[in-house]
Amino acid sequence: MRRSLSSGIFLTVMIFLILFWSAAPPLWIAISSISTRTELYSRPPHWIPRHPTLDAYKNVLIKGEGFRGGGGVSASRLFRKGILNSIIISVITTALVMFFAPLLGYAFSRLQFKGHDIFFYLIIGIIALPGWPVLIGLFSEFSALKLLDTKTGLILLSFTFRLPFETWFMKGYFEAIPSEVEDAARIDGCTYIEALFRVSLQMVMPGLIAVSIISFLSTWNMFAAPLVLTYTLKSKPLTVTMTEFIGQYFVNWDLMSAATIIAIIPPVVIVIFFQKYIIRGLSAGAIK
Amino acid sequence: MKKNLSVWLDNKQHLAFTIIIPAVILLIAFAYYPAFQSLRFSFLKYNIKQLSRVRFYGLKNYINVINDPVFLFSVVRVLYFMVIATSAVLLIALAISMVLNQKFPGRSILRAVIIIPWAIPPVVNGQLWKWIFNGDYGALNGLLFQLGIIKHYQFWLKQPFIALNFAVFLFVWRYTPFIAILFLGVLQSIPEQLYEAARVDGAGAVMRFYHITLASLRKIGGIAVILTLIASFSVFDGIYALTGFDEATKTPMIYNYEVTFDMGRFGKGSAMAYLVGLFLMLLTFVYIRMSFKKESE
Repeated sequence: MRRSLSSGIFLTVMIFLILFWSAAPPLWIAISSISTRTELYSRPPHWIPRHPTLDAYKNVLIKGEGFRGGGGVSASRLFRKGILNSIIISVITTALVMFFAPLLGYAFSRLQFKGHDIFFYLIIGIIALPGWPVLIGLFSEFSALKLLDTKTGLILLSFTFRLPFETWFMKGYFEAIPSEVEDAARIDGCTYIEALFRVSLQMVMPGLIAVSIISFLSTWNMFAAPLVLTYTLKSKPLTVTMTEFIGQYFVNWDLMSAATIIAIIPPVVIVIFFQKYIIRGLSAGAIK
Repeated sequence: MKKNLSVWLDNKQHLAFTIIIPAVILLIAFAYYPAFQSLRFSFLKYNIKQLSRVRFYGLKNYINVINDPVFLFSVVRVLYFMVIATSAVLLIALAISMVLNQKFPGRSILRAVIIIPWAIPPVVNGQLWKWIFNGDYGALNGLLFQLGIIKHYQFWLKQPFIALNFAVFLFVWRYTPFIAILFLGVLQSIPEQLYEAARVDGAGAVMRFYHITLASLRKIGGIAVILTLIASFSVFDGIYALTGFDEATKTPMIYNYEVTFDMGRFGKGSAMAYLVGLFLMLLTFVYIRMSFKKESE
């Protein structure tokens, strides 16, 4: 199909507008993170830094000076502990999801059993459960179970709230692939579990990758729950420690920018490499 | 022994229960039970700073919430928020998805770039924009100043109505990619011959847009509206980072957090959470019904 000149120009303008809309804000933070303080605090802004520097990154990751918020804890400690906690929580949650998602999908799509529908709606029902009532109750439950301010508590919580999505999505995925190969494996003497792991798992792999990536992103981005359920650096994830970069009277925007850039690297890399899976997961998650 | 176990497991009922029971235990322990706990709290006079004075309070918490002017204003605020945010998200998502549905070099790169705002942690997103909106050295001030639109730098977030609209903007920026991706999925399933046929029949660009593009987005559009209403009502992270507990952007979600965890009033907080949650549940049921309907068609 050939485009006329005017519609070609219109399309080009739109493409650049969309590019600006999506990429300019993070780009400005990236520029801020390599600007010297003098350039950062200048009017009007220096859009292109004349003396680019990695000092802010050094401060955030190693030295941690020049920081007055967060109750006397240095910026680099806040940041390093935060990022370590975030990685541990997100990786373990994602690993749990990767293990349980195919099993749950298989159970609800391939196995006929008593209570199928009740259990299914019990799991899907969490979608309708609003956040604050659960979180208020969890606060007192966690303090009774000694789970308050632990990474274990956050992992259990984030995994629990991934269950409806993974069940729904994987069930649909299993239903879309033919069961003949599994049946053949059964006839060859495989048990159900062997049939699942040897045959079906490969076929649902793209779906499993989509579920895992979306679980990782949503755990990495989680904020309200850890804000309520953690209070020391032992378990605070990066999203929470970063809000403490903003002191009551003073913000170091260069440190803040460097921290922001590092915090968004994992999600951005994932988006670039796994674009197709994310798109598939998002669309299916919303429609089904 | 091991042999017996694998024989026992090779039964549909046994296997299904072995898989599902751990999940159900987690659900009850960390979702349904705490929700029930806070329902109980909502009938108690319960401040965690005065634990010795916990007592039954009947419906007083609910009555207090409904008569609390701060709460009522927060509801009005969030209704405004939802209407503006939902219209903006849908319009911008439509434009983005139509552009991405065209063929041009670098399309898949652009598609990855537009997802970035959605993938950034919402609270970090709030801080990112707080710096751009900064009154002393923010990029927005600098840009508007250099373009000659403003003569003096403005403290945007100190002006209540502007702050509220900027909070809306923050949400729109983050949520639009998600809806655009949903729209794009539908647009890509429209066969190009349909447009060609319409063109042969003499339908102009406007007619084709109206009768083909918009018509095919009708169902997903309904789902998108409900999803965006739910999401815009539930915003917490971004506002918390952008303006904290400022009056100007205090939505029920922010106020609910403040009452419960900042003031420690668990009783009143739980009642508010249930009033707000009831409204959310209503929207969610509409959404679930709509998406099931779509599936069965």
